[in-house]
Amino acid sequence: MGHLSGERLYEIFARQKREDRLEHIGTVSAPNPELARVYAWKTYDEASWFEMVVAPRDAFRAVNRDEVPFTLHPAETV
Amino acid sequence: MSLARTDSFKSAQDLPEPVREALAATLLSLADNKRILGMRYGEWILGAPTLESGIACSAMAQDEWGHARILYATLKDFGFEPGVLEHDRPAGEYLSSELLDSAVEDWPDLLALNLLFDAALSVQVEALTSSSYEPIHFKTRKLLEEERFHFEHGRGWATRLSETVAGREALDAAFRRAMGPILRWFGRSEAGFGQLLGSSGVATGDPMILRQAWLDRVVPVLSEAGLEELAAEFEANADLDWSDWNPDRRRVGTGGPDADTLARIRGDKNRSMLMD
Repeated sequence: MGHLSGERLYEIFARQKREDRLEHIGTVSAPNPELARVYAWKTYDEASWFEMVVAPRDAFRAVNRDEVPFTLHPAETV
Repeated sequence: MSLARTDSFKSAQDLPEPVREALAATLLSLADNKRILGMRYGEWILGAPTLESGIACSAMAQDEWGHARILYATLKDFGFEPGVLEHDRPAGEYLSSELLDSAVEDWPDLLALNLLFDAALSVQVEALTSSSYEPIHFKTRKLLEEERFHFEHGRGWATRLSETVAGREALDAAFRRAMGPILRWFGRSEAGFGQLLGSSGVATGDPMILRQAWLDRVVPVLSEAGLEELAAEFEANADLDWSDWNPDRRRVGTGGPDADTLARIRGDKNRSMLMD
């Protein structure tokens, strides 16, 4: 993915019903959290989400390995 | 107008005639502007600076066309034929802003439509959320919910572009071009349909109040983006040029959407195959 300067990857999590678990549903590249929210909502609009949240990928900390899941499973990135 | 603000109306036919006409013009103005704004967003699905912003433009285009469709349909209650409104009017009958007459060439100009003009439309829609004309209530709710993201998109991009001097200058120039047409779009305070709607409880706020509500929304974003000088000019809106102002169409002059825009929003080329 050709990255523009100043852009970060944001991971998106969502659930359709309150009782569901949050699931990782995708990734967007955005220059700021405001645009990350918009992109997430508008890109992953296939369901009527009860809740959706975004967090920058670089906020995740590996616990038992040296790498975070997003680098172990790059196919999950869009 | 002697309407009490507590009166409520279930049908447009119950509204006193001047109020009915003023409300119909407001709804048609919103519908026409949203129809063409949707097309302008759609033109950036390909060519936006990032894939994500292209997708956002696609979604905003769909939103606007959906809103326009709902608003045109609402006008049936006012005695209009939605099919005619959508497909059979000449350019001179569109109540759309001069900002939308032709395609925008650059991303900052699209952002002016996105952040500034789209917000003006939302301020006008908000003024109808507690309207005494009840059928409009539930339609405005979903529409405004979708619009929150349009504004955030414009805001996020204003922040982004303002990180560089070139970006800030381009934003400043584009927003400056849009300033007059948008400030005027709310109308003149002393007369006209805006006054009539405001004083009758069909909409909250006369043009001056709506213009201020819009400024309260966009000026902080301009300041955030380092465009303080421009923000001050917006706020002053001291010497708005009303020459050639057409209050019925909420725009200057006798123009309208250009030929290409008109053909595409009406669907002319391909509808001709479907006609008897």
